[in-house]
Amino acid sequence: MEEYPEELRSPPVALVALVGCPEQHGAITTHLLSQQHPINTLALPDFSKLSHLLHRPPSPSSSPAGFLKRDWLVKHRTKIPAVVAALFSWDHVSGDPAQWVQVCSDLDDLKAAIRPRNTKLLLLVVVGQSDDISEDRLLALRKRAEVDSKYLLLFNPDSSQLNNSLQRLSASFAELETTFYREEGRRIKARIEKKNFPSPDLQVRYCFKVAVYAEFRRDWAEALRFYEDAYHALREMVATSTRLPPIQRLFEIKIVAEHLHFKICTLLLHGGKLREAITWFRQHVVSYKSLVGDPNVIFLHWEWLSRQFLVFAELLDSSSATLPSTSSLPLGTADQPLTEWEFHPAYYYQSAAKYLKEKRSALELTVSNSKTFSENDDGSAESVVPSVYIGQFARLLEQGDDSAMQSITDDEYTRYAIAEGKRFQDSFEIIALLKKSNEIYSNLKVQRMGSLCAFQIAREYFSLGDFNNAKQQFDGVANLYRQEGWVTLLWEVLGYLRECSRKQGAVKEFVEFSLEMAALPVSNVDSIQSTKCGPGGPASLEQREMIHREIFALISGEARPISINGVDDLKVTGDNTLHLEIDLVSPLRSVLLASVAFHEQIIKSGVSSLITLSLLSQLPLSIEIDQLEVQFNQSQCNFIIMNAQKHPLEAVQSEQHDHRMESAPSLALTTNKWLRLTYDIKSEQSGKLECISIIAKMGPHFTICCRAESPASMDDLPLWKFEDRVESFPTKDPALSFSGQKAAQVEEPDPQVDVTLGASGPALVGERFLLPVTIASRDHAIYAGEMKINLVDVRGGGLFSPRESEPFSLDTHHVELLGIVGPEGEDESQRASDKIMKIQQSFGLVSVPFLNIGESWSCKLEIMWHRPKPIMLFVSLGYSPNSNESNAQKVNIHKTLQIEGKNAVLISQHFMLPFCRVSLLLSKIKPVPDSNQFSSLPMHESTVLVVSAKNCSEVTLQLLSMAIEVDDGGTEKSCSIQQGDEDLGTAVLVPGEDFKKVFTVIPQLDSSKLRLGMVNLKWKRHCGIDDRSGLTVTGSEVVTKHELPDVHVELSPIVVTLECPPYAILGEPFMHHVKIRNQTELLQEVKFSLADSQSFVLSGSHSDTVFVLPKSEHVLNYKVVPLSSGLQQLPRISLTSVRYSARFQPSIAASNVFVFPSKPHCKMTGITDKRLEESTVAD
Amino acid sequence: MFLSEITAGAKIREEEMIVCVAVVGHQNNPLYIQSFTDADDALKLHHIVHCSLDVVDERVNNPKKSGPTLNETFLGLLYPTENYKVYGYLTNTKVKFILVTTDLDVRDGDVRNFFRRFHAAYVDAVSNPFHVPGKKITSRTFADRVSTIVQSFGLSSAV
Repeated sequence: MEEYPEELRSPPVALVALVGCPEQHGAITTHLLSQQHPINTLALPDFSKLSHLLHRPPSPSSSPAGFLKRDWLVKHRTKIPAVVAALFSWDHVSGDPAQWVQVCSDLDDLKAAIRPRNTKLLLLVVVGQSDDISEDRLLALRKRAEVDSKYLLLFNPDSSQLNNSLQRLSASFAELETTFYREEGRRIKARIEKKNFPSPDLQVRYCFKVAVYAEFRRDWAEALRFYEDAYHALREMVATSTRLPPIQRLFEIKIVAEHLHFKICTLLLHGGKLREAITWFRQHVVSYKSLVGDPNVIFLHWEWLSRQFLVFAELLDSSSATLPSTSSLPLGTADQPLTEWEFHPAYYYQSAAKYLKEKRSALELTVSNSKTFSENDDGSAESVVPSVYIGQFARLLEQGDDSAMQSITDDEYTRYAIAEGKRFQDSFEIIALLKKSNEIYSNLKVQRMGSLCAFQIAREYFSLGDFNNAKQQFDGVANLYRQEGWVTLLWEVLGYLRECSRKQGAVKEFVEFSLEMAALPVSNVDSIQSTKCGPGGPASLEQREMIHREIFALISGEARPISINGVDDLKVTGDNTLHLEIDLVSPLRSVLLASVAFHEQIIKSGVSSLITLSLLSQLPLSIEIDQLEVQFNQSQCNFIIMNAQKHPLEAVQSEQHDHRMESAPSLALTTNKWLRLTYDIKSEQSGKLECISIIAKMGPHFTICCRAESPASMDDLPLWKFEDRVESFPTKDPALSFSGQKAAQVEEPDPQVDVTLGASGPALVGERFLLPVTIASRDHAIYAGEMKINLVDVRGGGLFSPRESEPFSLDTHHVELLGIVGPEGEDESQRASDKIMKIQQSFGLVSVPFLNIGESWSCKLEIMWHRPKPIMLFVSLGYSPNSNESNAQKVNIHKTLQIEGKNAVLISQHFMLPFCRVSLLLSKIKPVPDSNQFSSLPMHESTVLVVSAKNCSEVTLQLLSMAIEVDDGGTEKSCSIQQGDEDLGTAVLVPGEDFKKVFTVIPQLDSSKLRLGMVNLKWKRHCGIDDRSGLTVTGSEVVTKHELPDVHVELSPIVVTLECPPYAILGEPFMHHVKIRNQTELLQEVKFSLADSQSFVLSGSHSDTVFVLPKSEHVLNYKVVPLSSGLQQLPRISLTSVRYSARFQPSIAASNVFVFPSKPHCKMTGITDKRLEESTVAD
Repeated sequence: MFLSEITAGAKIREEEMIVCVAVVGHQNNPLYIQSFTDADDALKLHHIVHCSLDVVDERVNNPKKSGPTLNETFLGLLYPTENYKVYGYLTNTKVKFILVTTDLDVRDGDVRNFFRRFHAAYVDAVSNPFHVPGKKITSRTFADRVSTIVQSFGLSSAV
């Protein structure tokens, strides 16, 4: 598009001229250009210039020598104004007669100059701010100029009026230029209508002119119509015009048609008519495509066609931004269907490249045919230049300053065209076009089209000898074809790639591409017998076999194939070994595919198992492998398989080798037939054993390293999977083909050592629980043994829970590994020196000394429970059965044991008041909300505290002592606790039994929250009868602590004591005293009432109110006669303290008495003893 | 005169020749591709068929764009070239048929008819119990049938 002149590429802009008053021109020019429809301005300082400009050369009367003059359009755009504005200063107009005469003569000259071109005239009178305008002078001026009154304008350059003046000026200019162009157009249109032209050539010219005039006034529709008319008229003249020799005639028509077509397409695209533009373009190409012209200059035709596509592509490219997206456009109609790509410039770029290629080959052909031309080239082509008519050439004859155009013959023209054509490097142009196309296609994600472009680019590079670029492009294309399985296309690309690497001397790539080609699924069925194939030759089985032989001859180094001759770099020799890697995605997988299957998924260490290697090749001929090396992740398992035919095993074994050597009778790979080899495999090292790769060696310097694949997860060969071929299993056993893996798990050898955890029964909280661990070696000696001990919560998680705050526990672990006690008699110092021993709270590590076969070793784990909790004990022993290998495989044994930790004793307590004594405790009657959880004790009164310990374990315990440890925190003794002998002697507590001890507590201090202290119970496991528990527990004592609850102590205001004999005898009266003691400093009024009882008759007041003096006692006396025997309820007294309005009553137990039917026959002394005991112990 | 009619007929036949037919599988891999031309442009035809898959993809992925061809197996003209017209057809198992013809003035009806017959032949070929789905079609019977269909293409209109 850039080769078109600017005036053709852009829409025409109207031209006006300004004459006179040059100081105003700048402002006017700028203003006119900034309008919505800009107007170009010719600024002429004085009037004499104009007539020179508008001078019209006499038109030749003879028939025209061409369609369009080259400079016509530019002339109208830059030289011939539509309107001339004559600027006069008011001073001159209104000045003295001499000035007026000057104005008039200028005006007359101007009128004379513009008349032949019908140029419109506009008068501008430049006035000053203060000027006094006289209408008469203006009228005179207008008359003189013969212009309409509206075309005489006053122009005020003053800044306040300037804008206004400019507005009016531009409006008048616009009006006048439109009129001018319309009139001009109409004038020429009239000629067309009357068919008033001497030569048919002129019809094209007239239509063109009308269209251009229409464009000047932005009448796009008319412009389009006349361009199309011109185009059609031109097309009809192809057969009729005889003005020029045939070659030049056709060329001229094509060039003019190109110009017209360009204008039409630009207008269509400018109007947003994308579909019409495309359709028009298509018709344009169709109608001119067959006009090939003279065979000698056929390249000109292709060049022209290529340019059509290129220009249209550029037009589309530049206009697509302003157009709606093509996806919303409806596709073509039924008769003219448009397809997707026709909306994209990429397609046109691609076609342009295609025709440019045609041009190149045509030109080459012409050049080779016309050797004679160039030989007797007299240099006449040099003076050929474009003539004044578009599309014509002429010889420029220079004679001094004068030059003249002389028409040339077709022969001369042909020579000129060939000489011109040879100057250009078409390949770069082609590559640029294709790259553009490729870029657009890849932006649209149209990868196949893009690949085709890339392929063409690569071919261009290839023919240019730029192999690096070619290879890069070919590689990308080959990937797509590989992926989609287009074998024939891939074959062609690979042929090019192979040739590139050959030319570059890259042996490895050459061999790779050759092997890939040889292994392509090309059969005779769909082979393409074409002579237009690339350097790879036709895709056929024969060609594959040829390549195969060539490559194997190359790698064996035997004979140098003819095709490789001439390129010295390609050789595989001793210092130039060739190593190919084939991985899981390599296209060379079809050359050699290695599948490896272990027959067993889990193999024992040191036990041999079977492994099957299967190799498959799709090369067309069978190949012989010299040696196979199988590599594993455990390198000591690697082994080498020798081809027995080539290397007898005996010969090889004499050589020094690290690896196992095997021999196979034959290592020949036939096309599409698995070569299966099964061997023993033995690993000494546990863990994963995986086959990594198989290296096949062929010839002295060529190896292929093929990644091993599991048959179970093996992908199909990418290209061969579409082929209808015999498919067989890689292994003989089909099940193994479906499930076989290239890796197996090697288990460690079975441990030949016993680990015994000898715990029995549950552990008790607080004791140092000893757990014997015995390690007994059966068949393995133990070297470097290590025992790890782990304590784990059965319910998971750690043994520590930070959320439970432990008020009493110092350590954070509920269960703790305290230590490991070695076997008796072991020297501590020796142990410390050479053994590892690490103890943490839930983890321990201890080393085990060397044990020979049959020996045993034991130790004891000391574990302490702080809380009842079941735990899981993990003991794992790791050792190596052999002494010599420091890094040798360790054998591990794991043992677990769940141990329950239980509370041994459960301690509880309760308080009791002395017998028959009731204290009025106000807090009991009116409970204070926050103190009700404590038991209340009366101050200065002795209270009985019973502490009971229950054996809740499953073993018999021996209690050693029980004592209350008073907390001596305060300075004042808050209470006194009387406790008996701490030592309990041999109190044996069988499971479930209770033990009780009585303490007396006398609170000394009025306190709402009194700490009583801690019960310390010392106990141990009873090991009297069975000796078993003695094994696990050292005879140490365990102290179980129990915190006594806080108590509430208060002064009791009234204490009531009931006094009655310990027993009564039926019918015998006895005295029952109720002592009411006032402990306060106040007078207490106490109401009492006595409830009658059926079993007794009594004397004394039933109810009354008594006043008890401060610190004194009031005694109520009753004489009571029992009426029935047995344990009887005395009449119950209930008291009400008026002061505290508190009613209280002794407990029922306190008012019970046993009534004997008759006087018992026993000594009174014994009874009193018993009574004493009862009062202390009995509940 | 009789002879001249025959040669004229032959000329017509030559002009409206199908030059290539192809069956393309799910992974855009060729299952069957056969060219019917004496010229050495089989590779070029392979390229054309391969590139036409881009249009098939485009039409299948943007069905709203090709509104009238929605739910229709016939995809219409795929690809403009100067010398060829490429038509496509998509079966409901997403197997694509591609037709390349040198006839620049071909009728849609003829193409549709061709594809219908071609589809029937394809269905018969893949219904063969020995045919593995997804593999290339190597059946000789299918090839013969296809060449018969190709030869009879456009005959109804030409004669």
